[in-house]
Amino acid sequence: MKKSIIVSVVAMLFVGCVPQPKPSIGLGVGIGSSVIHSEYGQPPRNYRVAIRNYFSAKLKRGSTARYAFSTPKRAYKRKGLVYGGDVSWKGWRVETSVAVPSRTGREQRPRNYMVLFKGEQIVEDILGNSHSLLVKVDP
Amino acid sequence: MANFNTHFSVAAGASAFVSATLLSMEVVSPEQAVVAFGLGTLGGLLPDVDSAHSKSIKVGFNVLTLLITIMLIFAKSATYSLVEMTLSSVVVFVTIRYAFLELFRKISKHRGMFHSIPVALIWGVVVAILAQWFFALNSLVSWVYGFMIIFGYLVHLILDELYSVDLGGRRMKKSFGTALKVGMFKTKEQQIHTAIIYVAIPLLFMMAPETTMLQESLFSKEAWLTFLDIVLPYDGKWFFH
Repeated sequence: MKKSIIVSVVAMLFVGCVPQPKPSIGLGVGIGSSVIHSEYGQPPRNYRVAIRNYFSAKLKRGSTARYAFSTPKRAYKRKGLVYGGDVSWKGWRVETSVAVPSRTGREQRPRNYMVLFKGEQIVEDILGNSHSLLVKVDP
Repeated sequence: MANFNTHFSVAAGASAFVSATLLSMEVVSPEQAVVAFGLGTLGGLLPDVDSAHSKSIKVGFNVLTLLITIMLIFAKSATYSLVEMTLSSVVVFVTIRYAFLELFRKISKHRGMFHSIPVALIWGVVVAILAQWFFALNSLVSWVYGFMIIFGYLVHLILDELYSVDLGGRRMKKSFGTALKVGMFKTKEQQIHTAIIYVAIPLLFMMAPETTMLQESLFSKEAWLTFLDIVLPYDGKWFFH
């Protein structure tokens, strides 16, 4: 019985203690672009080239991959809780799908990445369409 | 029932094979494969942490204590001085390693619900949550780490069941069926244990990273084709690529 209480308490602690990101931190729709840019900076212009170059260097066979890009959208990301959980990046994300051929040359299903920009610089890429610590200001 | 060395060796061997496969399938990077191997091996020791005097409980608590102490140092490194970090680390280490261990020994019962499939799942989900929320890892890597814990855990449970079959005497030992189980239902207390564990699973899943990437990378037709690509030399040349 004692053990079951401990198991449930631990489960509840995990559910209760981890702070939920607050989407409201982002600027609302309709606010002037100059204010948006002071928060998030200018959206990247040459993001397609930057992302291709980035993944060509990072992924095996990345230079022969097929790419598809969204337009830049605002987002921010928190640090991992072990590092304090503060907002560590605020900028523009480009949702990118990358179809890298397998080592036998077989065409593979594309993988989705969120590529995070600060100005024209790529800060980080995140595999997948979501991350618990990343908040999409623009959906 | 298998002893500590057997559990350690088998879990390490099986985890090495799986993490090497994941590396070869390009699901994880070399560094991540090393961590995956370590977690799989640790998962193979976890079920015996409810055994009051086993080596597993010592190893398990040592690893847990070190992990929490290191996390504390990471979290406070920007503001704490070296002396403050050292003192707080010592306090945390001693509290968990000795006070918590003694408490845990008193309340735990060997071969209870710790030796069960749903608890393996809980460990895996908790590791995936910690990997994403605490270390900001992406969903795929977080789940691979969780998967490796579950894998190692299940290897342990299966090994225990195999050791409960007496092939020479052609009989089942008394311990048969106490390791690889989905719940305990004999007494009311056991039913409550089981129910709480099954309630905890969906609650934990609500906080867990998305599973889409794991499904696509490990449990899809695409993953199977990728696996087939790596089974034999793709260019027909053995060892001289």
